Amino acid sequence: MLVENTQTQMRKGILEYCILCVIAKGEIYASDIIAELKKAQLLVVEGTLYPLLTRLKNNGLLSYNWVESTSGPPRKYYVLSEEGKQVLTHLDKTWQELAFAVQTSIEGRK
Amino acid sequence: MNKTIIININGTVFHIEEQAYELLKEYMTDVKRHFFNSADSLEITTDIENRLAEMLTEILAREGRQAVIDQDVAWVIEQMGSVKDFETAEAEEEPGFIHNEFTTPAGNRRLFRDPEDHLVGGVCSGIANYFDIQAVWIRLFFTVAFVFFGTGLFLYIILWIIVPKAISRADKMAMKGEPLDLQGFKRNFEAELSSVSERIAGLKHDGRPFVYKTRDFVSDFFHHLFVFFGGAGKVLVKLLGIAVIMACVGGIIAVIVGLGATWFFGGDSFSLPDNFFNYEHINQVRAAVALIAIIPFTMIIIVVSSAMFSTAAISRSAGITLLVIWLSSLAMLGYHAARAAAEFKDSASFTQTINLKPSKNQVYYLQLNDAMFLTHDDSVRLQIKDKFRNMILTDDEDRHELEPRSVHIDIERSDVPYPVLVEEFSARGYDYDGALENARNTRYMFVQQDSVLKFDRRLRRLNNRSWHNEEVRLTLRIPLNATVMVNEKINRYISNYMNVYECLPGDDHKSTEMAPFVMTEDGLKCKVGEGIVDATNTIDSMDTNHDGGVDASEILKSTVGAKADTIYIDDTIQTPKPAKKPVVIHRRHRMVN
Repeated sequence: MLVENTQTQMRKGILEYCILCVIAKGEIYASDIIAELKKAQLLVVEGTLYPLLTRLKNNGLLSYNWVESTSGPPRKYYVLSEEGKQVLTHLDKTWQELAFAVQTSIEGRK
Repeated sequence: MNKTIIININGTVFHIEEQAYELLKEYMTDVKRHFFNSADSLEITTDIENRLAEMLTEILAREGRQAVIDQDVAWVIEQMGSVKDFETAEAEEEPGFIHNEFTTPAGNRRLFRDPEDHLVGGVCSGIANYFDIQAVWIRLFFTVAFVFFGTGLFLYIILWIIVPKAISRADKMAMKGEPLDLQGFKRNFEAELSSVSERIAGLKHDGRPFVYKTRDFVSDFFHHLFVFFGGAGKVLVKLLGIAVIMACVGGIIAVIVGLGATWFFGGDSFSLPDNFFNYEHINQVRAAVALIAIIPFTMIIIVVSSAMFSTAAISRSAGITLLVIWLSSLAMLGYHAARAAAEFKDSASFTQTINLKPSKNQVYYLQLNDAMFLTHDDSVRLQIKDKFRNMILTDDEDRHELEPRSVHIDIERSDVPYPVLVEEFSARGYDYDGALENARNTRYMFVQQDSVLKFDRRLRRLNNRSWHNEEVRLTLRIPLNATVMVNEKINRYISNYMNVYECLPGDDHKSTEMAPFVMTEDGLKCKVGEGIVDATNTIDSMDTNHDGGVDASEILKSTVGAKADTIYIDDTIQTPKPAKKPVVIHRRHRMVN
């Protein structure tokens, strides 16, 4: 129980960072974000992404454009806003620190 | 072979098999419920729906199929993830909408008022939820309790005040006793904590003073009153509308039947509008009256039904046409009324004198003629000879109540030693000649049979002429010291003051009892102590056979001395069984002798 909980916490902690990173590569569609995250083995189902994207958008980190699609309804393509870029820079730094902390902690454990 | 349904997901149309549709619908309902408390629920669910639509479109294109089957739906749901997955992902993220799932252990119901299923205050459905039965039974119970004892309402209001409303999702789940960990999320410390705070808030809520509850109740009451008029009230309003429409239909039928009756039986009784209008115009007047009465009823029916039941409203031009017809009917009625009124401008009268045979003992019995006078037309119309042979048709004043009194009798002292009857006929008309013509076109039936003087109740207009206030003033001049026997019935027609009941010995008199009055120098005086003859026994024979007046007389001759049966018939003359014995028919049920 506790283990699962911690895992969830850890995953969730980096999920938003990863999403911002993926979007930072350029305008991207939600299902493509999923594809990237699946490749990184971070997220399994799409449904969980939409609430996150909506919240990030509402916090002003993302914006989106409607793009007509040949297969189905128009798609939302997400991009980082200026604020999002700044937040991402902060997070990059934080991640470097975290990675260092984790790396340091793991070292010497054989 | 499977049945398919056409659905529309945010603008994309799919043919989907029924089973697949059920699956998809269930999934979307779950998703919507899951995000219900989130501020962005609409946006999130729309995103999810759009993506589902896109994936389905891709599958169909790839597989070259036209209809979505349940495997497709299962696959896209798997891609999208179940509600369970969402909860796992969000467990930490949004404790705000999860914490209240833990307030009550599963299966333990609490009594709340149900704000989602209510007719008035949600009390009944709340109770029903508590006992896990259908709300309709509780509602039925309250209705019955209200109808029979009036206690239902009282009880309801008390429960409304006392029982809290299920506001939060937790309340609603507790009310329905849903197992709160149904959707498989995990309890954690924070959730427990917030559930504790929820409980504390709940305690505060439950423990609020009565005053606050009452205040809540009042605001609730008006809210629900509003809802009531939107819901159950609509039914009431519709019932009211139906009642109004029925009343109007009834009004129309009454007008048609009423006018139809005067059309068929016109002239038989004194009724508006017939007796005031010239016969050649009577149908115009009837039509005008019918339209004046029926058009507003029709309009009310159309307006009410279009407002209540959204049936087609009347078009503007049709409405204006009806209004114009109504106004012209009004104008026509006014025109005829004015013409009828003009018929009363002048008056005329003429007098004729009849010398009566003096009776042997100078006693005269004054009576109303009870035998009905029938003109030749009447007797043909009513088939008197066939249906009423050997019967007496009696007249009765009741049926002429509506008609103004047309007969007045004065009793004066005669200068000559025999009685004299002076008949003064008067009427009104457009001018003097017309008035005189009207006065002449009347007939008054007066009959002398030895000492019995029979007066008819009415002055009759001939040829179905319209009414022009025709009157006859009868002056009966009797010699000095002659006696007149008068009963209360005829006294009503006599202008002289005669107190018949006081002149009779004893109390408790019938209107047929006859009192003697003697003519003195000072007019009529009650005659006391002389032999008073009960005149009613002597009056069996009568002769109403004045020129053309038919048949009652023939019948009468055979009734003399015979014991007559009595048959009661209504105003509408029915056909009695052929009687061997002579029979007296009373109109209405008034005993004559």
